[in-house]
Amino acid sequence: MSLLEIDHVTRRFGGLVAVDDVSAVVEEGELVGLIGPNGAGKTTLFNVICGFTPPSSGEVRFAGERITGLKPWRICRRGIGRTFQNLRIFPNMTVFDNVSVGAIGRLGIEPFESLLRTRAARVRAAEVSARTWQALERTELAPYAHLLAADLPYGRRKYLEIARALATSPRLLVLDEPAAGLNDTETAELARFIRTLHAEGLTILLVEHDMSLVMSICQRVMVLASGRKIADAPPAVVQQDPIVLEAYLGTEEPA
Amino acid sequence: MRGALAPLAVAAVLFAILPMGLSMAGSGYLFRLADVTLIFCILSLSMQLITGVAGLLTLGHAAFYGIGAYTAAILSTRVGLDAGLTIPVAGLVSALFGVLIALPTMRLVSIYFAVATLGLGEMIYVTLLNWVSFTRGPLGIGDIPPLRPFGFDLSSPLGTYFLIAALAVLSLLIVHRIAHSYYGNALRALREDDQCADAMGLPVVRLKIEVFAIATFLAGIAGALWAHTTGYVNPADFRFAESILILAMVVVGGLGSIPGAIVGAALLILLPEALRAIGEVRILAVGLIMFLCILFLPKGLFGEVAALDLVRRQFGAAWRGGSAARPLGWR
Ligand SMILES: Nc1ncnc2c1ncn2[C@@H]1O[C@H](COP(=O)(O)OP(=O)(O)OP(=O)(O)O)[C@@H](O)[C@H]1O
Ligand SMILES: [Mg+2]
Repeated sequence: MSLLEIDHVTRRFGGLVAVDDVSAVVEEGELVGLIGPNGAGKTTLFNVICGFTPPSSGEVRFAGERITGLKPWRICRRGIGRTFQNLRIFPNMTVFDNVSVGAIGRLGIEPFESLLRTRAARVRAAEVSARTWQALERTELAPYAHLLAADLPYGRRKYLEIARALATSPRLLVLDEPAAGLNDTETAELARFIRTLHAEGLTILLVEHDMSLVMSICQRVMVLASGRKIADAPPAVVQQDPIVLEAYLGTEEPA
Repeated sequence: MRGALAPLAVAAVLFAILPMGLSMAGSGYLFRLADVTLIFCILSLSMQLITGVAGLLTLGHAAFYGIGAYTAAILSTRVGLDAGLTIPVAGLVSALFGVLIALPTMRLVSIYFAVATLGLGEMIYVTLLNWVSFTRGPLGIGDIPPLRPFGFDLSSPLGTYFLIAALAVLSLLIVHRIAHSYYGNALRALREDDQCADAMGLPVVRLKIEVFAIATFLAGIAGALWAHTTGYVNPADFRFAESILILAMVVVGGLGSIPGAIVGAALLILLPEALRAIGEVRILAVGLIMFLCILFLPKGLFGEVAALDLVRRQFGAAWRGGSAARPLGWR
């Protein structure tokens, strides 16, 4: 049984087929890339996995259980952590508070517990603090913990999103174009960081528009074009695949 | 010791210094002013939870205040229920309405939610106005007994003041524990980006309904206190304009800031009274002051960032790790 199974998923927007009968799996412990030109349907597939949009047909299973139809927060609690293509941090909250939301989401929160300051509430709060610090330290954001997220340098905000997702203690981390807007040095730093996370045992699905990052760190690469999966193989094979080269022709040279 | 200083100071002012001063002044008017200020503190604190902390703009808050007031008025004049019971029951009835209204509207997005609460608030007002057999319509309900809960006679100015102050402090404690905890972080996340909060594992709709229930419960309590201390309720006290007044308190004080809600309520109740000397121009003056506040201090007189910083220093989680030498989390 694979950790994530995407089973004949199709998503239509009116007449447009954004994701067209895609089947794929992600095994526990893998670092998989998902690439494709603009508008290929990467984000849409991603949103289907996380419960943001329902598929028109097909289903997604996580750890053997069907998650299609569940609300995003339930999918998150099953163990899928995500980031967003367009940064979606909580600007008027501190870096610490931003990250704490991931831990709160995973551990759950009850109003009467907080109201009555029960023992359970204190235990839970200590656990939220611990997980938040852990995620902050893993992303080297601890020195910024007290800053408002809005005051964080742009490059660090990517790490903030990743930290928040890590605080949900995911079994699968799905990153949507984390390198967008970063320069080469920052991209290389991010690549090293993602590799470290993977080496620590996290399963990662990396959605990217830019082939070079994916080719350099992923064990396996899936390629989407116009909603269809046109390749699914190790980077070296995908780079030589004539169908992939054609899909990228005119948009971008494969690295 | 940490965390004890601020509550002690609040208790000293509210339960010793202020009532002593008011008794020495011996003025019923000043007592009444203190009572009304505290009642509006409860209202602004409760709306702060919904609008400032959880980010749901509500334009019908006065309706829940009204439901609480009418519940207390009707139960005490028709059923003869003790004030010790009418007050909590008023809170529960108001929260029940709050949940009933929240269930269908919480899925609405920002401005639509605001308009829905506006419409429902006016519906409740029109019902109070026209259901003459039950509410006596525009005549209002009079002869509401003063506060004698469970045989304790608190109908004197001092007794009434103490009960209202105690309930205001209880409300503050409730709002404080909700807003200044990880539960509060979850609510703030809803305000910032509720879809994203959903993806982080927060049950968005459930949280919104919960916060609406807690806040409308408090608004109902404020209504019951108003009914018992005024002795008379009238639909006009719970109109849209009253909702806007409470909203103004929250915004002028600072959206999301608990101390801000108190500052805003105190300012907008006491300022018009302080300006009585200048006659009806005072309404203009209050409007101008509000306008200037928003223009120059858009984050409020006591903004959220400063408020959270202050509260964290008092009640925050012990700092550990990292290099920022201040408390950041909650206990
Ligand atoms: N909510 C929506 N309504 C209608 N069409 C949509 C919607 N979301 C996406 N689409 C369309 O579906 C197609 C796939 O979009 P998607 O965002 O999934 O692509 P992508 O591979 O993530 O592209 P990019 O590299 O630009 O992020 C596009 O043609 C897009 O316009
Ligand atoms: Mg995309």
